[in-house]
Amino acid sequence: MSIMSGKRNGSKKDIAPAVSRQIDENLKRLYTDTTSEELPKSLTDLLEALRQQDAQKKAGKQ
Amino acid sequence: MTGTLPPDTTPDPRDEIVTHLPALRAFARGLSGDMSAADDLVQETVLKAWTKFGQYNAGTNLRAWLFTILRNTYLSKRRKQSREVSDGEGLFAARMASKPDHDGRLALQELTAAMKLLPIEQREALILVGAMGFSIEEAAETCNCAPGTIKSRANRARKALAEMLYLEKGENPESTDKSVAMVMAGAPNGF
Repeated sequence: MSIMSGKRNGSKKDIAPAVSRQIDENLKRLYTDTTSEELPKSLTDLLEALRQQDAQKKAGKQ
Repeated sequence: MTGTLPPDTTPDPRDEIVTHLPALRAFARGLSGDMSAADDLVQETVLKAWTKFGQYNAGTNLRAWLFTILRNTYLSKRRKQSREVSDGEGLFAARMASKPDHDGRLALQELTAAMKLLPIEQREALILVGAMGFSIEEAAETCNCAPGTIKSRANRARKALAEMLYLEKGENPESTDKSVAMVMAGAPNGF
């Protein structure tokens, strides 16, 4: 369908810069919401565990 | 293994990983289109990055290095699942798109649905370049391809989204965004 035809047409006929900008701006809204969220605990816990593990390894070597 | 050691206060270059986590999560969501799958993906990425940190060349682009790990992790998972991305239901969901509001803001749910329909190469290129602010070169480094390839993939992705979300062909007459309105009025295409 339309996606396919978009694929076949290649880059001969680009979309208008304004539409392109509109898409990018909305994508930023869509994905930068995540970047202002607090990190999930599972992730911060994982990092902490990795740090601890290394600290213990280091301590073991000394 | 009692975990009672005091926190290490010497600076660790790996501490910089944490500063890229929000962007990695965003990229993971964009690729997988699923919040919990995205967080699993970021977890795996962090684990791999931490353990393979010796392979990272200090002074080179850490962000691109991390994004590449996440991308490769996602692609290999996807290959295993060998799931077909484009499905009739998704297309239907995207086709339900409402018109952008007066600011040209699209309904994010529909944008998400439309993004899911893009081939993965196009999707990743557009997320990196369009949303995450990667330069063409940095995105090319992340995806291990030529800059020109990233550029054309991102453009094809935008074009496909514009079609799916009716952003061209005068289907959005109520938009008051002047530049967009001009396009709708039949301004010539092309850069």
